[in-house]
Amino acid sequence: MNDTTWVWQYDQRIPSDPKSGVDAIRVLLEQLEQREWPAKCVFGIHMAMEEAVMNAIKHGNKRDPSKHVHVLVNLSETQFHACITDQGQGFNPDDVPDPTLDENLEKTSGRGLMLISNFVDTVTYNDVGNSVELVKHKQV
Amino acid sequence: MGQFECIESYEVDKVSVVKFVDEKVMDPGRIEQLGKELLSLTDEETKPNLLINFENVRFFSSQAINKLIVLDKRVKAGGGQIRLSNLRPEVRDLFNYTNLDSVFVIRDEEAEAIDSFEQD
Repeated sequence: MNDTTWVWQYDQRIPSDPKSGVDAIRVLLEQLEQREWPAKCVFGIHMAMEEAVMNAIKHGNKRDPSKHVHVLVNLSETQFHACITDQGQGFNPDDVPDPTLDENLEKTSGRGLMLISNFVDTVTYNDVGNSVELVKHKQV
Repeated sequence: MGQFECIESYEVDKVSVVKFVDEKVMDPGRIEQLGKELLSLTDEETKPNLLINFENVRFFSSQAINKLIVLDKRVKAGGGQIRLSNLRPEVRDLFNYTNLDSVFVIRDEEAEAIDSFEQD
């Protein structure tokens, strides 16, 4: 089977509140577990989705109830693909301070992007910076 | 010590050992409550020595990590020490990737972590 023959899709516009984000991620996690993705992969996808969706809700849409976050997820037998888009102004990922520098280590923000890039295989932002695409391949 | 919703706590050799109730520490409301409960542990002791045992934890979000950082600052300001133990490899990766393993002393097992507290 082709790596991008999708066998499951989630395509929802969710409200800009963290609870809705958690609920959306929970649906995805149930699918991954039902489809017997390895625990380490599920953890990585969970981490990346949690950070990406919460960034969109909190920093992108600033929890504005009039805005939504578009969460699109496709699963093939061997690949996870997601696109998370908010209705905010966007941002430049290069402007986010490196959280691993000594002076930033004890700050309580700025770790999300680093975690996303460490836990999935590919992270791509659009030019505006209000949409992020995540890809992870199943590793058995 | 009052009743907690998100943690359980007991004492071993003058160290307060904390375990998380939730396997997946990800719900925003629960994380806020967790932060309050963790900080309340430092209210009761002038020089708190805290061991956070992660044995129940399968997922830990960056928001939850932020609560640990706030706790760490409070504990160190009070002259206490904090240790982490029993992290699953994936959870341990969180601390490695973010260099927070240089902020927190992490040990594999609870007993080893308790032995690692520096005596007065």
